[in-house]
Amino acid sequence: MADPVKAEPLAALREAQHTMLHRAIRFNLVALALTMGAMTGFILWFATLVLLLRGGSAVGLHLNLLGVFLPGYAVTWPGAWIGLLWGFVAGAASGALLYWTYSRPLRHGFANQVIEGTSNDDLRAPVMRLSGHALGASLGALGALQLILATNWLVVRGTASQSPTAALLGQYLPGYTVTPLGSIVGALQVFVWAYVASLVVAALYNGIARLRAHA
Amino acid sequence: MKPTQEIGGDQLVKAAFARIDAVALGAALGVLLAALLWLATVYLLIKGAPPGQHIGPHLGLLSNYLPGYSVTWPGSLFGFFHGAWIGFVVGAFLAAAWNLPHHIWLMLIVRRHRGWQTL
Repeated sequence: MADPVKAEPLAALREAQHTMLHRAIRFNLVALALTMGAMTGFILWFATLVLLLRGGSAVGLHLNLLGVFLPGYAVTWPGAWIGLLWGFVAGAASGALLYWTYSRPLRHGFANQVIEGTSNDDLRAPVMRLSGHALGASLGALGALQLILATNWLVVRGTASQSPTAALLGQYLPGYTVTPLGSIVGALQVFVWAYVASLVVAALYNGIARLRAHA
Repeated sequence: MKPTQEIGGDQLVKAAFARIDAVALGAALGVLLAALLWLATVYLLIKGAPPGQHIGPHLGLLSNYLPGYSVTWPGSLFGFFHGAWIGFVVGAFLAAAWNLPHHIWLMLIVRRHRGWQTL
């Protein structure tokens, strides 16, 4: 029978670790959301700016189409700032969802998600080890969800038949069309491609990080 | 590595605050983006286009941002090169933006913990 005097501090320690872990996960989620938001917003702002500075007769004919998904966005000077805002919102939401789904299967083994031998200093955290399967599942689900939402938004607007640019995805995703069924077919393929790409990225990252840690 | 239950609070927190190796993530994303852009271009080149039409007129618009890129065989190599450096920059930025706030917070936690120990 367990000694209640010893069991009580142990339970308290586990409770404290549990609380710390949850706070850390929340912090990670916010950090990734802000980082991805800032990056996506900047990329959209910069892409718009490049086209505006280059000029021409029909500036940003194709990039303008993003206005279908991001109200107020256009390849104009005010539109670039609206794009920055929308990019931040979309990137932050994607980053938060990505980390939330990525961290869920890892919560019981968080301490194992580090490259061994990379923390000899109290003030230096160890190097993160990426889980290819968790990253693949979360990135695949995110990509698939985005394709389904974007495609069906065109269907709901009633402009699916006037979306030849979106239909071009069918060149890379056989069976994809701007229809509800086509979006599911495309989403399944996006999931598989993202999963495979994540396995490659995780293997490369872990391999290089391990090499650098032991160099 | 010990299982989670046996690891002290400090180590568990440090694992949850693990930093990202900027060079490794940059290299991994660089390889991926380079391969993706090269494959997307080569796929269109192999598929070809109906007589009298350009190959990949939409993917070719990337030349607005990537000097030298086009949906041609030499252009695919420019795409590979641009994909590599863009992927590296994105990966390194992601890592740096992740590591900085984590380092600051971990430092605060460790210092506060040491402060309690000296009381």
